[in-house]
Amino acid sequence: MNILKKIQLPTGILTWITLIAGVWLVFNVPDDFQQGGAVKILYIHVPSAKMALLSYLVVTVASILHLWKRSETADILAEAATSVGAAFTAMTLASGSIWGKPMWGTWWAWDARLTSMLVLLILFKGLMVLRHSLDDPVKGARATAILAIIGAVDLPIIHYSVVWWRTLHQPPSLSAGSNAGIHIAGPLLTPLLILTVAFMLLTLYMTTVKARQIEARRRLDALETARMHADE
Amino acid sequence: MLIQAIYRIAWKDVVGDLRRRATLSSMLFFAISVLVVFQAAFEPDRQEALRLLPGLLWATTLFTTLVGLGRVFQAEEEDGAFEGLLLASVPRGVIFFGKWLGNLLLTLLVELLILPLILVLFNVDAWKHVPAILAILALGTLGLTGLGTLLAAMTRGARSRETLLALLLLPLTAPMLIAGVQAIAGILQADGIVAPWIKLLTIFDLVYLALAPWAFGWLVEE
Repeated sequence: MNILKKIQLPTGILTWITLIAGVWLVFNVPDDFQQGGAVKILYIHVPSAKMALLSYLVVTVASILHLWKRSETADILAEAATSVGAAFTAMTLASGSIWGKPMWGTWWAWDARLTSMLVLLILFKGLMVLRHSLDDPVKGARATAILAIIGAVDLPIIHYSVVWWRTLHQPPSLSAGSNAGIHIAGPLLTPLLILTVAFMLLTLYMTTVKARQIEARRRLDALETARMHADE
Repeated sequence: MLIQAIYRIAWKDVVGDLRRRATLSSMLFFAISVLVVFQAAFEPDRQEALRLLPGLLWATTLFTTLVGLGRVFQAEEEDGAFEGLLLASVPRGVIFFGKWLGNLLLTLLVELLILPLILVLFNVDAWKHVPAILAILALGTLGLTGLGTLLAAMTRGARSRETLLALLLLPLTAPMLIAGVQAIAGILQADGIVAPWIKLLTIFDLVYLALAPWAFGWLVEE
């Protein structure tokens, strides 16, 4: 855990630098000729979505390590990455909705990606609730780790079932807009890359802070238990 | 030997439940109240009822399953009975399959009872499709109860358990719900698509029935 303390400040500083640089570039590139200024929200939306999925990957790997090696550090990492992932998933959904209103004319559509993201948010919430609803923290950690792995197996099935659902059932009328975004011109791509790096640093920074916070919380709880036993 | 152990655990649960009339009757009456709620909420005419039928059926099944799952480990709550069950000299996966089979049989029984009930209460003329619909329901229920039994074991002794069970089960069953609804809708339409949805249901079943016994073993390990 010492390493977390060491990297926290440098990561924080780097996060701010890249974020400010990225956002400055975003407001200095020309607007999309079809989408106008609204396209700029994608510079937040796309990295958020990537970080939400990356966080789930971290949760899964940490959960496997926790079950396999019984590593407390892995469990703390899983708990920290769960909160961070939930935040980025919520950010993805919120920014997507704000972009969707002017572009699609609606805040929400039951498109494959939106539905998968919403399920991911509920799954993150489930992981957070399950951990604290069992009285024994060891059991809570283990149950949460198992749920995370099951979720990791389920997420691709959820995603493909929703894709099938929307394609077999009715043509993906709305996703055409987001697919068209694949062709991004060079000057528009640079801020996106910088912001993706910034968001990766932000994820690392948030996870670090959260993990240190969780570790301190657990040490306090252990001290409290020890004190209560001493009083008896 | 292992098959027999599975059968014994399931038999204990099913017969015990039928004699106490606990889970089965509460699931059944819960299902009926859900149907009353749907009728009051949507007031479908015959045409609409036919269109809504797949969704009604799966929504009722899903909610009713939650009631049953809340009780899967109820018989083992007291006097350290769960630890006693774990002491049985069979692999943990076998214990899981036993609990799963018991829950599966009760759930299938409830489905068998609510399908005709829905057809009667909503005035839907789909009697000739009953065997096919039941087959789809049963196929989805394999994986649904597999995942559900695992989650029931996971939330054993948790605070506000029923709510937690719903929060965990509903998002994970999204593929089953989509595939199940589309498959039954496909059966009801003359030129409906059924095969890919059956494939998806089968994948869902296989994944959970392979994953759950393994996860159960990790879960109950001391």
